[in-house]
Formats: sequence, structure tokens, C-alpha cells
Amino acid sequence: MIAFSPIGNHEPAPALACTGVSKRYGGVQALSGVDWELLPGEVHALCGENGAGKSTLARICAGIARPDSGEIRRGGCAVAWSGSDEARRDGVGIILQELDLFANLTVAENIALGNPALEARRWVSFDALSRAVAPRLEEAGIPVDPTTPLGELGVSQWQLVAIARVLSLDAKVIFMDEPTSALTEDAVERLFAVIRRLKARGVAIAYVSHKMSEIFRISDRITVMRDGEMVATCATGDTTVDAVIRQMVGRPVTAGEATPPEEPKISVLGVRNLSTRKLRRISFDLADGEIMGVAGLVASGRSELGRALLGLSPLTGGELTLADGTYLPRGVRHAMRSLLALVPEDRRRDGLFMRMSVLENTTIAALRRYSRLGWLRGGEEREAALDLLEQSRTLFADADLPVGALSGGNQQKVLLSKWLLTFPKVLFLDDPTRGIDVGAKDDIYRLIARLARDGVGILWVSSELPELIANSHRIMVLHEGGLQGILESAEATQESVMRLATGHGPAP
Amino acid sequence: MKKHPTLPITLGLALALLAAGCRPQAQQAQAAAAPASQRLVVFSQCNNAEPYRAAQNAEMQRLWDGVPGTRLLIMDAQQDSAKQISQIETAIRVAPSLLIVAPNERAPLTEVMGRAMQAGIPVICLERDIAQPNYTTWIRADNEAIGKLVGQFVVDQLKAKYGEPRGRIVELAGLKGVEAEINRSGGAHGVWKDYPKIEIVTEAVANWLQSTAKDRMTEILAAVPQIDVVYARNDPMAMGAYLAAREKGREKEMIFVGVDGLEGEAGGIEKVRQGILAATFVYPLCVDKAVEIGTRILNEPGFKPEKVYTMTSHIVTKETLAKP
Amino acid sequence: MSTAAGRGLRGAHQFTRPFIGLILVVALGVFLSPRGAGGGIIFLSGGNLTDILLQQGEIGIMALAMTLVVIAGGIDLSVGSVLAFSASLVGLLLVKWEPRLPTGAQIAAAVAAVLLLGAVIGAVNGIIITRLRLQPFVMTLAAMIGVRGLTRWMTGNTNIDFGFDAAASARFSDLFSQKPLILAVWAVLAVAAHLVLSRTVFGRYLRAIGENEKAAAFTGLPIRMARTATYVACGAAAALAGLVHAARSHQGNPNDGVAYELDVIAAVVIGGTALSGGQGTILGTVTGTLILGVLTNVLRLRMVDSNVELMIKAVIIIVAVWVQRRDRPSINS
Repeated sequence: MIAFSPIGNHEPAPALACTGVSKRYGGVQALSGVDWELLPGEVHALCGENGAGKSTLARICAGIARPDSGEIRRGGCAVAWSGSDEARRDGVGIILQELDLFANLTVAENIALGNPALEARRWVSFDALSRAVAPRLEEAGIPVDPTTPLGELGVSQWQLVAIARVLSLDAKVIFMDEPTSALTEDAVERLFAVIRRLKARGVAIAYVSHKMSEIFRISDRITVMRDGEMVATCATGDTTVDAVIRQMVGRPVTAGEATPPEEPKISVLGVRNLSTRKLRRISFDLADGEIMGVAGLVASGRSELGRALLGLSPLTGGELTLADGTYLPRGVRHAMRSLLALVPEDRRRDGLFMRMSVLENTTIAALRRYSRLGWLRGGEEREAALDLLEQSRTLFADADLPVGALSGGNQQKVLLSKWLLTFPKVLFLDDPTRGIDVGAKDDIYRLIARLARDGVGILWVSSELPELIANSHRIMVLHEGGLQGILESAEATQESVMRLATGHGPAP
Repeated sequence: MKKHPTLPITLGLALALLAAGCRPQAQQAQAAAAPASQRLVVFSQCNNAEPYRAAQNAEMQRLWDGVPGTRLLIMDAQQDSAKQISQIETAIRVAPSLLIVAPNERAPLTEVMGRAMQAGIPVICLERDIAQPNYTTWIRADNEAIGKLVGQFVVDQLKAKYGEPRGRIVELAGLKGVEAEINRSGGAHGVWKDYPKIEIVTEAVANWLQSTAKDRMTEILAAVPQIDVVYARNDPMAMGAYLAAREKGREKEMIFVGVDGLEGEAGGIEKVRQGILAATFVYPLCVDKAVEIGTRILNEPGFKPEKVYTMTSHIVTKETLAKP
Repeated sequence: MSTAAGRGLRGAHQFTRPFIGLILVVALGVFLSPRGAGGGIIFLSGGNLTDILLQQGEIGIMALAMTLVVIAGGIDLSVGSVLAFSASLVGLLLVKWEPRLPTGAQIAAAVAAVLLLGAVIGAVNGIIITRLRLQPFVMTLAAMIGVRGLTRWMTGNTNIDFGFDAAASARFSDLFSQKPLILAVWAVLAVAAHLVLSRTVFGRYLRAIGENEKAAAFTGLPIRMARTATYVACGAAAALAGLVHAARSHQGNPNDGVAYELDVIAAVVIGGTALSGGQGTILGTVTGTLILGVLTNVLRLRMVDSNVELMIKAVIIIVAVWVQRRDRPSINS
């Protein structure tokens, strides 16, 4: 374990420090002998692949879990919290990866939960609560009415509400576990502004993330973990992305640089003046073997486009054509028959059957093919599913265990495989790489590239511009429900895409 | 690995069962082949919740307590024929020395009582009958005779009211499949058919229960403008009808006639004394006869009881109560 | 990846699991059972054991179909009323109807008509639930009330006695109350239900629909058709149970079957099927039915008050549901 001296002339007491922390979950050693410290006023990134232990470390440091051995010191004094509320009282807060918010409560109520000061105000009057909460919302950068029920907001806004909640705690140490996984570029900017403000106030921030670009922008120091152990800590300025990735993975990997695609040929999907309640006259052609990235800000209509293609959002105008003629969207089953497939954004809610097995999830959309007169042919089913899962390097202990036991990345691969078994001609992917680790992302890029080579037309929604730019032939940019422009791969840069996404014309 | 829920359930169950099984009533049942110790007498009662039957149970317990070397167990089928069949099936398994049954309904209980007979258990059929004579003996009261007495009483009352035998009658029936119901109604109807001006306006089924009778009577009161007589096949139903009429303020308009005539605070006799019922007809519990015959069956190996024993009934009115 | 042998071993382990509970109850029965004349254990006598199966036959048959309904995310409260409807209708058809048909044909026609109508009632339940989007609890509650009313009305709220002579109704009773017949029917249906649930596309769809309806919609599964099919099966099963009931009681009684749905649901729940849907096995349901049957039998052999019986049943149900909540594997892995 290597530790460099922290930035600055003097040595301030760490805001939080762990020594020799270990934790075992069943048969897995999640952390072993971890020494780590967080200084006040620094942004300290924690990186590692899935299962490296960074989330576990964050949860222990925030009081949610107790270590099996080792010591935690807050501001120099040893502490033994029995729960996250005690940690909160000591000024340590955490924004979890699986947002523990409640859809049926309002924004203000969600923020007040677990915050004694605010909860007291809630009993007094709801207005008082809203007023107390509003400045936090502004700080976090969400322009919503605190009385809005959470269920009415989109996923990215949920994350911002979670951020506002931690802000309202006036914590001195904040752990953020994948805080930008559901955010778009502009929301990320606002978050960074908040982080900088907090930093200036002396708050220590631990930033757990996969996203190299963000880490290198916002953090002062980076700690890499692998398989439950500390690998290295160094100042951000002293290292590179490749070096960090190598330390995370233990092998050199080229992330996000998929093989350059070939020239597309015939149109598999023609869209003319597609309009729904939220889309305005969108027109484009998708060629077979083409990967079209779909970029845009929150609520620009990207997911809506997918829903329109399936017929889940009613069309108010426009015509669609597939390779074999006119296509009238009429629902999922009709789309499947026309060989269209949509991989939804929220894999847990809309995509997978968590308690059913990996095998069952993989084949559920294509059971017809592995059955005769309604009777399942177990052998064929298993062969086909295992085959496909292997090709996408999906890792699982046992195909008959529930898919909920897999890591996020492997779950996403199962979800993708499910649709691949329907042999689609047009595939709409809604944020397929959200919240998964670098290694899995790589596998998915490879899979998508292969599909394109096989002639499938792919529409790919993502908020991570670098991956979109690196892997698409063209990028369509939506702005407030309308098509702002389509950029060729060569001319697509983060800036040019942002220009269009924010409603400006293409660069002169 | 997901634990299967049946495991902890049955553990919890084991505790409950042991607790239940430790109650003094549920001691080991002895077979008939143990003459020196206790012989088991099982009484399958169709419904403890009726006052008539509760009185039967009390009388049963009292009388059997006086017979040495016997132990009585009473099962309550809660007015559910399927349950009674299952209970008797299981009772057959423990081979009691004597089985007494008050059948819930005629048809359903026929077969299972036959099976008890085939298993060599003497069966006494109490009060109600079954579709075929699958019993050692049947102790009955003469419901048809009661029906006739009711019929005549009503005719006399109507003659006194109108000067001629005419009037409007409302009937409240018990469970339709039961002999008492069939004969109490048949007996009365047989009397009334000779009087064309005596009209049975409507009949509602109230399953022998007071609360149900009150509901049915409320509906009838809404539909029928003028009623002279309410003939309920048992006292609780008559009481229920009275309560319904009183709620509507019409209780003086009609007279209420019931059957059972039990003693005690809640019994029909008291209601006659209070003037609520115009008359009731004592319906013998039949229990004393059952115990008498049952004891002889147990103690006299060669005893062959009659197939049917009929108990008699009599009317109870204010006048009869006034006499010493 | 697991080997076939490894899968087989684990499968065997899971196979025996549901039986552990049943074995425990049976052991209890043996322990608490009264002794017979020769010292034999009455509980274990062949006659007693088949009695148990017989007494649970109606509930058992209905529980099989109810399992499918619950797995797909629904519930059917109307089964008790449909049972009474079926028992009364077969009574009407065998006693009041006088066609110029030989007895056998009349019985066959009556049985077929009753089963068909049971299925129709189920279809009505299913269609209204899936098309008009009424909650299953609400719709089947309404059906429970409505069918009961229909049954009482069509019989004039009187029993239809089957008699003991040679008439069609009496012959029907003799035929359909035979132990071997009832047990065979139950066994065949149980095997069929198990195969449907575990080996067919339809069964797979039911589990998926109950597990996550949103994902099922996104996957293009025939949610409405599958759910309706489960209700049709439930209606037909209740009608079949009604035929057995009528035969055993020798009458068609419009007031029978009250609260039977609760026993059916209890059997399903004790067998490990969660009321929230997505999980459950036929084997579990059969075990749950048998556990209830064995318990009732042991209590009756011990002459325990029938009201205590009810209280114990209540305890079972509470414990079963509570244990399921605790056992549910966390989805956030």
C-alpha cells in the first residue's frame, strides 16, 4: 500500500481515517486490512472495478455497516457508530448508489427524512418545511417545487434530490457513491459547482466513481482499490487515466475505443416527421449496421423516441418505414414481430425479473423458439442462452440462480442478451452502460459493435458523450423534443454535441 | 438458500398442538374392548349455537355423568354438513362404544352414519332423521303432531279474531332439508288446507336462527301490509320476528307462534309468560330417552332397541301457565 | 457453470424441502394419535390417511388452480360461491331436468355443463380484471357475492335432494363420491398443474407476469390472456370441486361452500406461494393442503373443540405469511 503526502504545506488532521478495516460478507472478503484517510477540504476519488470494495468502504465510513475489525477515527477521535444516524450526528453523510428515496412522498418530505432538524419543522407546518428545503434544492441545482411528489420526477432528478438531502444535513464529510450515474452533462456541471463550494468550506468529499473523466476533473487525490485491498493513493495531477485503469484492472485495457465501424448501406428504419406529445417532427434514416448515438439533455426526448418507436407513446403524426414496408407502432408485441427491440433504461424496474433465474431472464422474450406447442424444450433453451451469455462474457456462478444476485454489469448483459435472442433488425438501447464497471462496459461496446457488423441498426441513448462519440457512426442530438442536428462521427466532439443539445445551431 | 416456510410453521404448530393436546378433555380414547375402564360415547351435535341444541348438550352431559364407566365427548359441526361428515369419519376411527348423532341435514349425513353402523358402532339418531334408516334407533319427537297442534291453535285464534276462520299467515322456516321443518310445516298446512280463507302470504327461510329471522321478517314487513299470524318453526325465529315487528311498531297487529318451549330466561316458555309469544309447543329434547336407550345398549349385550321412539309434545300458552 | 450432476443434487435438495414440514406434522400425528383396540396407531391406519385426502379433496383441487392465479399476481375470492353454484346446478340438472336420455348420458351432460359454466364465470372474472382493470380482490369479491345470489335465486334457496334410489342424481352421487375417483382426479390435476407451471411457455409467462408486470409488458408477454386463463382454470376447478361436494353431500345446497376460499388461500400460502406473485410451486400447494388436512385430522382424533381448531388455523396462516416476508431474498443484491 503506497501513500503519498497530501497536498499543501501543513498536515491537517484527517477528517476521517480508517486503519486495518476488514469486512466479510458470507463467503466474500469485501475488505481486508484497509488503511485510508480523508482530509478536510479535499475531494478524494475512490476507484475500482465492481467488487473492489469501494462501496463497502464508503458504507462503513458512513456508519451504515460495521467493520469486522479495524478502527475508524473522525477528526482524530476513534468512533464506533451503531448506525448511520449516529454517523450523521458526527457530521458524516452519504449519497447511496441505490437511491433510498420514496416515490410516493414529496421532494421536501424525502429531504426531511432522517434529518432531525427538518423533521421537527415538518410537524409544525408543511410550508415551513418547503421553505427550509428550497435553498438546498437550489444549491443542488434542481429547479423543482418541493411539494412535487417524487414519483413524478425522472431518474436523473432523483439523484439531485438525494444530493440536496445530504446538503441539508450540513455534513462535514460526504461520501458520494456514483453520484452522476443518472445525470446528464449539465446536471454534472451543477454538481461539480456544489462540490467546489463545499470544498471551499472545508468539507471533505469522498467521490466513488467509475468515470475517469469526472475523477480527473474534480478530485484532488485518487485511491485505487482492487479485490478489497488498497492498491495505491496519489495526487490526481501526478497520474494518468491509463495508469489508474491499469491499477484497477490489473491489466491494460482500452476503454471506450471500439473498432471503427464500416460504411453503412441500406436503410432499416426510416422516420419522417415523427411527433408525439413530447416530440416534434423528427426525421432520420437508420442504415443496416449503423450505430446512431442519441444525445441530449434531460427531458430532451431521447427515451420518448424509443417509446414512440414501440408505440408506447401514441403518435400524433409521422410515418415510419422498416426494411419491408410501412410500420405502424402498435405496442411491444407488434414491434417484436417487426423485429424491433427496446432495452429500457431502468433494468431493475422494466427490464429484468429479479427473482427469476439468469437462464429464464435470457430466454423470456424468445420462448417461442425453444418450445413446441407450448411445451418447453429445456435442452435447446439452455444451450442457446448459455451460448449467447458466453459471447458477451457474462459472468455468473450458476444459470439457475436469480438474476438479482448478479452485479450491475452482468445484469445489463443478461438484459441485452434477452433482446438479442429475438434477432432484431433495429435495436434501441436506452442508457445501456449506466452504473456498470469499466470491464463490463467494454464487453458491451464490443457486443454492440458486433451486432452492427451483423447488420443490425442500432439507436443508442447515453449521457456519457465520450463513449457515444467513440462508438457511433453518427450522433443525433435532441433538444426539447426536436431534432437539433445529426453529426457525423468525424465532426462530433463534446463541444459540438453540447452546442446542439443546448439549442444552438451547429458550429460555424 | 431460501428456507421453506413450512418448516417454521410446523414448529409453531407443534407447540400449539401440544398445548391443545394437553387439555384434560382430550385424553386417550379407549376402545370398547376395555370394559373395566371408561367407554367412549361420542355425540355429534349439528350446531351448538342454537338454544335448543345447547339445552340438549347440557342435558346430555348431565345425564351421562350419572352413568358410571362412560365418558362423553360432544363435537360441534357449526351447522356445516361437510364438517359433520368429516367429524364422524374421524370419530369412527377412534372406535367409540356408542355414537349419537343429531344430523345437520337429511341427505348428507345418511351415508356416513351407515359407515359407522358397518364399523360395528351402535348409532342413535337424535330428533332429526336421515334419508335412509342407517341407525340402530331413532328417537324423535312427533313434529307432524306438533304441526297439527299449531294449525289448530292458529285456526282457533283466527276464529276468535274475525268470527270466522280467515286470516293472513307469514311463515319462518328452518333449514329446508330437515325433518322437523318438513313435518312442522306439513302438519300445519294439512290443517289449514281445509280453510280456503286462511292464506299463507309468504314463507322465508331463516335457518333456525334468531338474527336471520329478524332480517327476513324486516323484509317481509316492508312488503306485506297486513299480517295476522307469524308461525316460526322455532322459538328463536319467532323472537326474531317479534323484534323486527316491534321495530316497525307493528307487533300488536299479529300474533307470534313458535316451537321448542324451553325453560329458562331465554326460553320460549318465558316469552309466552311475557306475552311476546301467543303460544309455543314444547319440543322434547329427546335426550333423556337417548341416554336411557344408550345406557341399555352399552350394558345389556343382547338388547335390541325399537327402531323408532316417539316422544310427545304439548302446547304452552298463558292459560296453560296460569293453571297450577 | 454448474454441472448437470451438481444441478441434480441441488434439485433433489430443493425437492425434499417442502416435505420436511409435512413430515414434521405427520410425526406429530403419530405421536399424538390415540391408540386402537390392538394398540395400533389410529392416525396411520390406511382408512384414516385416505380419509384425510378425501376430506381435503375439494380444497386441494381448488388450491391447484388458485396457485396459478396467485403466481400471476391475482387472487380469486369467488371459488366458494362457484362451488355452491356448481353443486346446486348439477342438482337442478339431475333432479329437475327430465330429458329423454339414458342416465349415463344425463350425468355426462350435467357434468359437462357445470364445468363449462364454472369456466365461464372464471372467464368473466378474468376479462373484467384484465380489460376493465379492476383489482382482482374487488372483482372476485363482487363475483363471490353475485354468484351466491344467483345460486340462491335459481334454487329458490332450497336444497335439492339427490335421493337414494336409482335416479340419475343418486347414481351421480354414488359415482362421484368414490374415494379412488376423487383421489385420482386430484392427483392427475396436480401433476398436470405442476407440468404446466414448470415445463410450458405459459407457466413461465405466469411467473414473469407475477414477478414484474412492467418488465413483462416491455417484453411483450400476453399478460391479459395469461391472467384470464388462470381465472378460467380457477372457475373450472371450483366447479369440479362443487361436483365432488354435491356427490359427497347427496344434495345441491346453495348455502354451502361459504368461506371455502379462505381455506384454499390458506393452503396456497402455507405451501410457500407468496400472495404478491411471481413465486410458488404446485408441490408446495399440495403440501400445504396436506398439512392443513393432517392437522385438522389430528385435532379431531384428539376430540379438540372445533373452535380451537379455527384458532390454530389462524396461527398457521399468520406464521406462514410472516415467515415468507422474512425469507424473501433481497432484490438489492
